[in-house]
Amino acid sequence: MSIQNSPSETDVFIAEGMIKTFPGVTALEDVRLSLSKGSIHALLGENGAGKSTLIKAITGVHRLDSGRMMLNGQLFEPSDTRDAISRGIGVVHQERNLIPRFSIGENIFLESLNAHPLRRIDYNKLFRDARVWLEMLGVDADPAMPVHRLSVAKTQLVEIAKALSLNSRILLLDEPTAALTPHETDTLFKILRQLRDDGVSLMFVSHKLEEVQEICDRVTVLRDGKNACESQPLKGLDRQAIVRLMIGRNEQIPDWSARDRSTGTAVLQLTNVSTSLGHKEIDLSVHKGEIVGLYGLVGAGRSELAKSILGKFQVTGGEVLVNGSRAQIHSVADAVRQYRIGYVSEDRKSEGLVLMHSVLENVGMPIWRRLAGLAHFLTNGKIRKHTEPYIRKLEVRTPSLDQHVGNLSGGNQQKVSVAKWLAAQVQILIIDEPSVGIDIKTKAYLHELIRELSDNGTALLLITSDMPEMITLADHIVVMNDYQIMGEIDNTRDYDTMSERIMTLIQGEEPAAAE
Amino acid sequence: MSGTGQEQSVGIPPAEQASSARLTTLRILLSNEFGLLVLIVLFAIIFSTISPAFLSKFSLYALGRTSAVNIMIGFSMMVVIITGGLNLSVGSIGVCAAMFGGLLMQAFAMPWPLAVCGGLVMGAALGALNGFIIVRSGLHSFIITLATMSIFFGVMIFLTRAESYRDISPAFTSFGRMKLVGIISPLLLVSALAGVLLSVLFRYTALGREMLATGANERAAELSGIRVNRIITYCHLLSGVLAGVAGLMLVSRTGAAIPSMAGQLGQDWLLPAFLGPVLGGTLLTGGRVSVLGTFLGSFLVTMLTTGLLLMQVGAFWMQTYLGMLLLAAVLIDMVRRSYLTRRKLI
Repeated sequence: MSIQNSPSETDVFIAEGMIKTFPGVTALEDVRLSLSKGSIHALLGENGAGKSTLIKAITGVHRLDSGRMMLNGQLFEPSDTRDAISRGIGVVHQERNLIPRFSIGENIFLESLNAHPLRRIDYNKLFRDARVWLEMLGVDADPAMPVHRLSVAKTQLVEIAKALSLNSRILLLDEPTAALTPHETDTLFKILRQLRDDGVSLMFVSHKLEEVQEICDRVTVLRDGKNACESQPLKGLDRQAIVRLMIGRNEQIPDWSARDRSTGTAVLQLTNVSTSLGHKEIDLSVHKGEIVGLYGLVGAGRSELAKSILGKFQVTGGEVLVNGSRAQIHSVADAVRQYRIGYVSEDRKSEGLVLMHSVLENVGMPIWRRLAGLAHFLTNGKIRKHTEPYIRKLEVRTPSLDQHVGNLSGGNQQKVSVAKWLAAQVQILIIDEPSVGIDIKTKAYLHELIRELSDNGTALLLITSDMPEMITLADHIVVMNDYQIMGEIDNTRDYDTMSERIMTLIQGEEPAAAE
Repeated sequence: MSGTGQEQSVGIPPAEQASSARLTTLRILLSNEFGLLVLIVLFAIIFSTISPAFLSKFSLYALGRTSAVNIMIGFSMMVVIITGGLNLSVGSIGVCAAMFGGLLMQAFAMPWPLAVCGGLVMGAALGALNGFIIVRSGLHSFIITLATMSIFFGVMIFLTRAESYRDISPAFTSFGRMKLVGIISPLLLVSALAGVLLSVLFRYTALGREMLATGANERAAELSGIRVNRIITYCHLLSGVLAGVAGLMLVSRTGAAIPSMAGQLGQDWLLPAFLGPVLGGTLLTGGRVSVLGTFLGSFLVTMLTTGLLLMQVGAFWMQTYLGMLLLAAVLIDMVRRSYLTRRKLI
């Protein structure tokens, strides 16, 4: 299956026979990879296929059990990350690795700040240098501003600036576009192409195949820790072929027809709601068995609206109705226990799951009180009885229910955070960016699950920045921008016209004018 | 897609069962509790070899009695540490509860069970006050309890005019001086009972689980419908009660409620308060608890103190050794934890 390319002079990085095992898991099994000068190389694979381990081996986080890496013709055995950086390997991680309270400039030049421990830092020069990188990346921000005040997208760009400032000749990008808007992604791609033309070797990891096809030259696909293909030219590979390499079979795209569920009873209804966060005149209703999509760019206030409905932030005006009567939600506990509203967070790691606790603890969390009852007594067996069916239904892959959630792959973590609300048998489920960092198979699975939930009568509010996902799933789409609702449309499930109408709504024009 | 795939997704494949049994053994051998047991046995052998008096009936009795108080102090800190916070006012609250109990017995001539309850209610109230301020202000418990440590102690000194209550019910003091089977102090049984109750709390109640979840990830806990503020307040309240128990144990043992029984501002309690839970493997960042570990950890510390005293090591050196022990414990724990993480055992 694997196609071998003979190493050429342009290959700046070659790895062969990479093997890395962890107890019980072979993460990499005889993996090959070569990166050539001035090209953008895609690294694809499902969660757990070994991409992260491969990146960690190249950046000096993991030592290989066996295998050989060559950098510019020399043996490359990084002892730690700093060593890898000094050899010209830059990496932009999926997780944010910036220091929130430090300024943009300090973050960009963090590696070189401590070169002379006692010398005064020349902040003027630092900020001047930082501004060059920011301008190059098209970030409109003051280098002296602390990073925590930036949007997620800009934070990501600062991280890229940091990697570039180290004069990396090899740049590994682990899902750099996950939090970016289409416009920001375009800007980033322009920069990546420019870097490529300057002779930098880039390796691009993404779950968005459209992007991979747009920007990458070659592709290496990993499947179960092995090469499904190695440095194969992307030209001539269509989406189906890539997916086949990744999952070993064809992708099944659901062909769901448009449906109208707005005739059922309105389970969740917001009328003229304003919040302490600045939402204004929000009207929204989700009916029984309906999937309402909330589309908008990052920062439009969608997650914030969800958390206001949940009672985490204050609703300052208007009415929230659940099943037709006014809801008194003063805390998330009220929303969960009394009104049975669940929220799957976009940020699994910091607010969706308790990573250091077991699968069983996580899934049981919302129902502990209910199960314990007045006697207040609760056993693992009882929790297991009420959660295990859902964990099984979602096919969470874990050695046992006692496994820490932090040890599971991203896709399985997401399944756990959904299973939690299935076990709680919520009537309203708000799902925020369900497929961030999720592989194709799990994503398709989650989509089917969401659809099935709606068929069983759950009212779903879906927040996603992934346009194809929105158009696949939603029955009705509400478009938000700047903490206001810009308009709403029924989903015809015709991708081109729908995406166009949504984008015109975001820009604040009447949909009629666009047609 | 098939049924077998689903089976595997939750169960353990038989081939891995043998190695998983081996891993379980390794996990137990590398656990804090086991390590502490080994240390306790080791030091018992060392001390009894050097000084035969260590194994005398009285020495063992005194060891049990002193460790009972230290264990309770450790528990008091532990229930706050699990939330990711700390309670510097354990000593202050303990003394306040003890003084209040003493006052009720001496000035109001209350029967001792009632006075003890009164003391515990005082402890609970002060702990709850800590929790309330922390939750309402959103500030870290470090700064709040640092302040209340001074406030509680200061008000107590003012109200009692720094005078002791020595008219303690004889029935109550005889309890603290009783010997069961010649060597066991009933106070140690009280600590053991508290340990059992705390274990039940964390393992078998929704409240205990919510405490741990809140400590591990407050935001996730809140979004799962846990009333985190209330839970944090409960933890501090419980800490206050346990500190009160420790204070009253001292009263029962010494036969008097003395303002300076835990040192200035109750600071003499701080080292044992942290040593027990930290040695025992309760995570300082919250979310994980070991009641047995705290029990053994506090016992080990008391044993070291007693042993070193028998070896006639000066009091100053004692503090040094205990400090070094705390440091060594944290460092060893770090190595152990990183080993377990590397081998994916936790």
